[in-house]
Amino acid sequence: MKKILRGLVWVALSITGAGCLGVIAFHRGEPINSLWLVLAAACTYIVGYRFYAAFIAARVMMLNNERATPAERLRDGHDYEPTNKWIVFGHHFAAIAGPGPLVGPTLAAQFGYLPGALWIIIGAVLGGAVQDFVILFCSLRRNGKSLGQMAREEIGEIGGFTALLTVLLIMVILLAVVALVVVNALKNSPWGTFTIAATMPIALFMGLYLRYWRPGKVLECSAIGFVLVVASVFGGQAISQSASMAPWFAYSGVAIAIAIIVYGFLASALPVWLLLAPRDYLSTFVKLGVILLLAIGIVFARPQLELPPLTRFIDGTGPIFAGKIFPFCFITIACGAISGFHALISSGTTPKLITREWHVLPVGYGSMLLESFVAIMALVAACAMRPGIYFAVNSPAGVVGAAPAAAVNTITSWGFPVTVEQMASLARGVGEQTLFNRTGGAPSLALGMAHIFTASTGTASSGALSTGANRAGEALLGFWYHFAIMFEALFILTIIDAGTRVGRFMLQDLAGHIWEPLGRTSWMPGVIGGSAAIVGAWGYFLYQGVNDPLGGINSLWPLFGIANQLLAAIALCVATTILVKMHRGRFLWITCLPLVWLVLVTFTGGWQKLFSDSPAIGFLAQANHLEATIAAGQISAARIAETQTLIFNARLDAAVCGLFLLLVATILADSIRVWAAILRGSRQAEVEEAPFVLSRLRPEEI
Amino acid sequence: MKRLLLKVFKTVRAILRELADENAYRRHLEAHGREHSAAEWRRFCDERMRAKYARAKCC
Repeated sequence: MKKILRGLVWVALSITGAGCLGVIAFHRGEPINSLWLVLAAACTYIVGYRFYAAFIAARVMMLNNERATPAERLRDGHDYEPTNKWIVFGHHFAAIAGPGPLVGPTLAAQFGYLPGALWIIIGAVLGGAVQDFVILFCSLRRNGKSLGQMAREEIGEIGGFTALLTVLLIMVILLAVVALVVVNALKNSPWGTFTIAATMPIALFMGLYLRYWRPGKVLECSAIGFVLVVASVFGGQAISQSASMAPWFAYSGVAIAIAIIVYGFLASALPVWLLLAPRDYLSTFVKLGVILLLAIGIVFARPQLELPPLTRFIDGTGPIFAGKIFPFCFITIACGAISGFHALISSGTTPKLITREWHVLPVGYGSMLLESFVAIMALVAACAMRPGIYFAVNSPAGVVGAAPAAAVNTITSWGFPVTVEQMASLARGVGEQTLFNRTGGAPSLALGMAHIFTASTGTASSGALSTGANRAGEALLGFWYHFAIMFEALFILTIIDAGTRVGRFMLQDLAGHIWEPLGRTSWMPGVIGGSAAIVGAWGYFLYQGVNDPLGGINSLWPLFGIANQLLAAIALCVATTILVKMHRGRFLWITCLPLVWLVLVTFTGGWQKLFSDSPAIGFLAQANHLEATIAAGQISAARIAETQTLIFNARLDAAVCGLFLLLVATILADSIRVWAAILRGSRQAEVEEAPFVLSRLRPEEI
Repeated sequence: MKRLLLKVFKTVRAILRELADENAYRRHLEAHGREHSAAEWRRFCDERMRAKYARAKCC
């Protein structure tokens, strides 16, 4: 009886999920409520977890709780420590949750809510969660080895070196693109700039507090830091309203970009405890808190999805980034559906904390489903805005025009009505001078989140973003907008300083093979040189993005998306190789299905970014187009040097994109060679697993 | 219900302590049989941070 009842519950959940997916897929006309989308995602995740993930765990990986994990066998009280599965889950989720699942779906909303929603849900269940799950399992069976080490041991030296080089290049593009998101959110915004600037002395104070005044009291220190950060959001409001103080914090995009570059260099070279670590603690707690708050806000506010299921930009003429749904929607969503970076986390700290093999299921697969759910919430926040406002905020000046009147005319002519007065009223409401041309996703996501938070408190109508709220609602909207900007910028800056440091280590590791002292991470000339090289590399791409007439996101975000998905392809190559060696040939489709899709998407996207005839899509076509305009005398003498730089940048982006494709083609070919040899029987399938040891953990230790 | 809420609260607190490295510090003290002190915290911190920030943060 109990079994039948349980079966009926699963049938009901499956039917609800399918029904909700049907509603969001086939509904046309009036806006629909976001709860359809939330329910569709939740039901699909639960059913996917219960059946698909459990099938992989039992039949493919054959997880065995009798087998001692590295946390038990190599227990040292530091890295290796058997830990409660929910604590590891929280730890792993905090490590994989970054700005990608928030920004990517916001940008992809230019196609409408449907393509992004479907890809986030299906991509996570069949691709992203599978990748995280399998890599975590592989690393667990190999004493917590990194992705690079596994690539080297399972595929070969070429695979290992290629993986290392790919990660380094991806870091450079990632840091540039996330920094660009912050620049576009803070330019000419005294409120936002003050709030973010205030987080630096707050982090320094926290560093000193933890080091000298209250050593070890991290939670207490983070609580104080949080109160100070919230106070700085209020302080920013006062600054923005002061005629004498506001100009001190109003900077152009270029000035903010330079400030972030200098910050990245200093943070990379300064002692970790002083700035990086306290900021990291603070941003982790703020990040988790805001995600929880957003989930509660969506349930309370239940906003309508104002954007249509599909917009006219599915034809590839989108203003935020050019290109058709296939492949660009899948590349843009990035981490919300599948992220190569997660493979680095799944083969880092997490496998060293797992107590039982079966804990890999909730930690590896479950965490990615939660990350995907965050992406769904970001999509809801973006689509809850009126389409006219969404496009006015996100479209670059080079596409819609720099003047507000020109921008609203262009956007209204697309069928998304918006007026200068509406935008001015909204900007006033959130304490900004203007909200036009803020490409990058962060401001529109902050607007959407502020809208949901304000609406859920009942102080403003759900139409607050289009018609202007009452005074209380307006004040709250301003606070929540800047709170959301602070939250996004805080953890993006943490990624920048930590990423620059890691990039420096990788570069020094490579340089050490040429001249030994360069490889020493404590040798000051090496530290300064390595930091300068990494900061110079991502700083150049950032500067290029800030000066790009199409907003920079058009070229850099797809490049980042391609790179991130290519890293996922590398991870899936490693996973497939291990499955082949484990004689699980029957189940190869589990990793090959997402691998084939990723190769199709990224290589099509990469090819189009290289060779498309459209200057809005193809880097080379863009360079040729600019050269032709110079030759035709259409560029004034004063702007020729600037245009030459744009031509060089387009060719540089093309070279980077080509290099990514070449690197991944190399590792793919190398993997296929290994698979074929093993399947033909001409090579022995030697699995590099740690030998079986019976677990002796007592039940109270689990 | 009360027991369930207490369990959830304890788990959340443990997750926060893990994220804050406070659990790792406790394990460090236990593993080495040492007492908490400012110097011990600094030693733990330097060692842990060196390893923690040698790894990429996720996007």
